[in-house]
Amino acid sequence: MNVQEYILSGVVESYVLGLASTEERAEFERMCAAHSELRAAREAFELIVENQLLKQAIAPPAHIKSKIFADIDVENDQRQGKKLISLKQTPVLQTGWLRYVAAAAVILLVGSTILNFYFFSQYKVYINKYTELIASQNQMASVNQALQTKVLDYESTLNMIKDPAMAIVRMPSVPTSPSLGSETTVYWNTSSKDVYLLVNSLPKPASGKQYQLWAIVDGKPVDAGVFDIKDGVSLQKMKNIPQAQAFAITLEQKGGSATPTPEAMYVLGKVTG
Amino acid sequence: MGIPATYTEPELVSALRERNEQAYGYLYDNYSGALYSIVLQIVQNTELANDILQEVFVNIWRKIESYDPSRGRLFTWMLNITRNASIDTLRSKAYQNSQKNQGLPENVNITSQVTHTNIDNIGLSKILAKLKPEQRVLIELAYFKGYTHEEIAQIEDIPLGTVKTRIRNALLQLREYMQ
Repeated sequence: MNVQEYILSGVVESYVLGLASTEERAEFERMCAAHSELRAAREAFELIVENQLLKQAIAPPAHIKSKIFADIDVENDQRQGKKLISLKQTPVLQTGWLRYVAAAAVILLVGSTILNFYFFSQYKVYINKYTELIASQNQMASVNQALQTKVLDYESTLNMIKDPAMAIVRMPSVPTSPSLGSETTVYWNTSSKDVYLLVNSLPKPASGKQYQLWAIVDGKPVDAGVFDIKDGVSLQKMKNIPQAQAFAITLEQKGGSATPTPEAMYVLGKVTG
Repeated sequence: MGIPATYTEPELVSALRERNEQAYGYLYDNYSGALYSIVLQIVQNTELANDILQEVFVNIWRKIESYDPSRGRLFTWMLNITRNASIDTLRSKAYQNSQKNQGLPENVNITSQVTHTNIDNIGLSKILAKLKPEQRVLIELAYFKGYTHEEIAQIEDIPLGTVKTRIRNALLQLREYMQ
């Protein structure tokens, strides 16, 4: 294809109006560089389009021009600013309300950043306080629960003692007791025959030893169970004893013995009534 | 620097490169109307057209360094910036969504929709009206709607090569009418 044919193929119009493909554009620019007549043809069509569009121009609303100039004023200021900084000169003060808007925006931004930091530090302080509160609240709850358990324990003990069917057997120390001044009390429910033991005072047994409660039934000792010395005031439930004339406590091997060791008897109490 | 009433194109370009606001004012006063008519014809919405024109002129100011005189006249460069910005808006998701209630055009009625726009007596309409309907549709789709040749081939259901030839012929015809 010679240049004339190329010119008349419509490629000029297609290129100028932006409808040519990337390859077509590249080829056209190559051809333009080589052929002045192609450049002339391009320019001729460009002028046709330009004149046509100028003829049919529609004036845009007036406010658009001022908007555009406000935009480019800002850009100009920025450009100028960059240039001046690069030359290390004092920036020249420029007029224009946008400068004040920009300054106000910067001040607002800085202010907002400071406030953010302030609120964040406050937030951290309160988060710590809150965590402390939660911890102390949890502690109080657990103390409260322990107290409640204790109170319930005492309450059930008291209820038991208050029962009119409850016989109380005081058990002072026998003269041969290894520990004079020892004392225990048996609460014996005469209707259910349940036996509860309260240790008023007994020395702590040596390791490997355990106290054993005996019910004396018709002169014979009956095992009523072994027990440990516990802290606090609480009744320990022993074995159920249908009938007894007295109760005694001896110190035996751990786990208890089948028959009591007489010389190891600490306390003895007779059932009255 | 004196205040020329008019500029030759190289004078104008070099003044613009110096960011001369007076030259820029001259550019706006002389060419905004021509470019605005194209924007209006593409987006057919005054508010949108105003925004696009503003964006276009700010971009011309910003990108004047990228104008290469060896590739064509300043006006041609500005016209292509204008057309691209308008078509980008037209084909952007946001704009398409705002038009959604009108329904997406089917292949068939794109043609009728396109011929419809010619009622508007703006821009190149009068000249386009002189074209044969089948040529007018191609120019509308390619130039004013921004469809690629491939897309047009699909829409109109004609081979790609035929699309290219027909568009070129339509452009040559258009040139005749503009002269």
